[in-house]
Amino acid sequence: MKTTLRKNSKAIIILVVIAAFLFVAARGMSGKDVIITVLRGFSIGSVTFLVAAGFSLIFGLLDVLNLSQGTLYMIGAYVGWTVYVRPDTFVDVLTPILLILAGFSLSSLWERFAKRIQLGAKPQKIAAWVMILVGFGLLALILTRYPIASWDLNNYSQSPITYSYMADQGMPIIPAEAVFQKISPFVAVIGILVTSSLSAFSIALLNSGTATTETANWRKYFVPGVLVLVGVLALVFNARITSWMYGMNSNWLFVIAILVSVISGVGLGALMETTLIRPLYSRPIYQLMLTLGLGTIGVQIVQAVWGRPEFVLPKPALFTGTGGVCPATNLADLFENHCSTILLLGGRVRVYDEIFIPIVGIIVLIVVWILLKRSRIGMIIRAGVQDRQMVEALGINVRRVFTLVFALGVGLAAFGGALAAPSSGLTPMMGEKLLLSALIALAIGGLTSFPGAALGSLLVGLIQQFMIKYGQIGIPLPFTDAVFKPSPPLVPASTVLLMVIVLLILPGGLLGTKE
Amino acid sequence: MKNNTNVFIKNRGILIFFAVMLLAPFLIGLLEGSSPAVILNNRGSMSKFLEGLGIEIFILAMFALSYDLLFGITGLLSFGHSMFFAVAAYLTGIALKTMHLPFWQVVLLVLLVAVIQALLFSLVLPRVKGVTFTLVSLGLASVFHIIVMSSDMINLTGADVGLQGVPVPAFISPVSERLRFYVIALSLLVATFLFYRRFVASPTGRVCVAIRENEGRAKMLGYNTTLFKIVVMVISSLTASIAGLLHALYQPIISPGVADLGYTVMGLLIVLVGGVGTLSGAIVGAFALRLLDFTLRRYIGESAAIITGAIYVIFVLFVPYGIIGTMNLRQFKTKQGWQRLLGLLKPKE
Repeated sequence: MKTTLRKNSKAIIILVVIAAFLFVAARGMSGKDVIITVLRGFSIGSVTFLVAAGFSLIFGLLDVLNLSQGTLYMIGAYVGWTVYVRPDTFVDVLTPILLILAGFSLSSLWERFAKRIQLGAKPQKIAAWVMILVGFGLLALILTRYPIASWDLNNYSQSPITYSYMADQGMPIIPAEAVFQKISPFVAVIGILVTSSLSAFSIALLNSGTATTETANWRKYFVPGVLVLVGVLALVFNARITSWMYGMNSNWLFVIAILVSVISGVGLGALMETTLIRPLYSRPIYQLMLTLGLGTIGVQIVQAVWGRPEFVLPKPALFTGTGGVCPATNLADLFENHCSTILLLGGRVRVYDEIFIPIVGIIVLIVVWILLKRSRIGMIIRAGVQDRQMVEALGINVRRVFTLVFALGVGLAAFGGALAAPSSGLTPMMGEKLLLSALIALAIGGLTSFPGAALGSLLVGLIQQFMIKYGQIGIPLPFTDAVFKPSPPLVPASTVLLMVIVLLILPGGLLGTKE
Repeated sequence: MKNNTNVFIKNRGILIFFAVMLLAPFLIGLLEGSSPAVILNNRGSMSKFLEGLGIEIFILAMFALSYDLLFGITGLLSFGHSMFFAVAAYLTGIALKTMHLPFWQVVLLVLLVAVIQALLFSLVLPRVKGVTFTLVSLGLASVFHIIVMSSDMINLTGADVGLQGVPVPAFISPVSERLRFYVIALSLLVATFLFYRRFVASPTGRVCVAIRENEGRAKMLGYNTTLFKIVVMVISSLTASIAGLLHALYQPIISPGVADLGYTVMGLLIVLVGGVGTLSGAIVGAFALRLLDFTLRRYIGESAAIITGAIYVIFVLFVPYGIIGTMNLRQFKTKQGWQRLLGLLKPKE
């Protein structure tokens, strides 16, 4: 009995805390209100969890407070929107990105060449910088001439708002194709490849003193080869892929959109870790400031590309059915008619926002939990959180695991963004708000604890939703007739206060380890 | 007597800065073609505009100085520092506009509240360390930001529009008596800087540096580190509050942006660009960033923030010691270089 209690202490703490909270919070509410509020809390909690989980994994293993996590969440949402509403832009962008990646992924090959070149330190440095400037300059020149079908922020009828509104009404605008005018496709493809590999070569030349020797094998040539092949194919069959995506079932398109945003999140994460975070492992405060700076830049870039106004990602067809038997009263109706709402205890519940998102959140929780507990990589991550030096001493390449975990964490955030976009809408400010909730959730649950992230996010989501609900119905104060209505600003303030109280009593958070 | 000259020589940089900045409005006035008398009567247009820019920079520099003391010298990374600034700014505005207090009472009130706030943060200090302190300070500051932005307080704070129409006492009105305001802000900045210099060199200041380097060891040597942190917190809060007071008097609108995390980050950025823990870096950084931001906004517009962010990243990656820190590191080499240059110019005997 005692051992079972001790073994499952975390689960018991979670259950007790949530039960106590629900018991206190749900008094004086009707059953309908309780169920809607709890489901909404779960929904907000799931999205917060996706960001917070990545954050806690990264902080636990790498000791990096990734304050750009909110921005990456936002980027995930915007990428998802682009794939879902404007597949033509996505297909157009695909080719140059793949080609640039192919050029840069040859860098290990270039390193071997660069090693053979002996010019003396100074000329080599100058040559490398000149080549970097030439390479990136030409690349920029080609990319500005490369045709990409896009929207126009200054023209309302071609702005993202209009596109997503029309797609939401079921009448998507199919814009005109972008055609090669200023540059021929052949020159563009070869030019991007050559300039990007020139830049990669010059960077390798700069680093040639410190480069490690790795034997070249077929895999080194395989990856760039595949990238080039896919990029060129996407260019050749551009029109066909675009029309295929426009005509596609919106559910599948939504799945593709989420996949693409996760992949771009993973890619961005890996890129950030290898290029920017890695040189700063010895200076932890600077890492924090760096991620903060990257976060601000990301927000500015998103504002420049997609504009400031808010718009929504239309929900896929699976969740938009209306009329007939909708709102559904049982599951059979729901699955048959793809209703957008369902009646639970007499309350209307939105299927996507309040049922689908929590389910996905729970699935992710279980999958990552199994990954951490049962797989070899999870074992290394858990060991690394406990004692990084020891893991390194046992001969495991921690650097590679670092990159992987960073990419995974950012990927989770991007996934959360794409998932939340249909319910919360897209604004350049969405990341900042969510980052604050995620930080609060983590501080409540324990910074490095994965179950703590889940518990904290759930608590934050529930408290916010209950406060909003009480703002509508009011809390009857004891011994008086007065009714206290929490105003909207109290919603975030209440979670912050909870965080401060928890941290003052338990500096490590509810489930965190003692320092 | 010898000691006395030493003080002047030690602080010659800031004294030269003080003198140059005092003369600057008149020099600009001369360039513009107006006599010193015109400048004294606040009628030169160009110099008046630049005085305004100068006041903004001095306020920013004071804010950054207080942040440098907290973060650069003592090593407390607080994300709630803008709260000190914003509380003072809003308090000044409300006290003058709604409560109609006389000016000296407002100043006393602001200073008193600054101490109380610092003590509030100090309640937290002994319990939480490192990253957790950062999070708690962020939380406290965001509560204040939320309160300021809330629609319940719209009569007092003006919610998201900002606090407008603060009746500024006539003798330091930034419109009619701008030169006086400029000199007051400059003198406050210089006085603060000299005080900070002295503080860091004092035994108390040395303990603060020790806390930054290794708190456990400082504790083991018998210092009550929490007490030192509280002292630093109070000093830093007082300075930031004076800056906030000046801000409230100078700006026509006190926007809720000053209570935001973004404002703390700007302080951090200034300290980083100038050089963490150098004190003079805060002033240099404030000049560099405000002028850069001003020029960029004039020529590029809103997207200037991308460039500011890029500068931030570049500084973190390549110039981690900031302008002043890097200069200090190279000072020896530079001195050698100058001597070599002078040696070339000197006729050989």
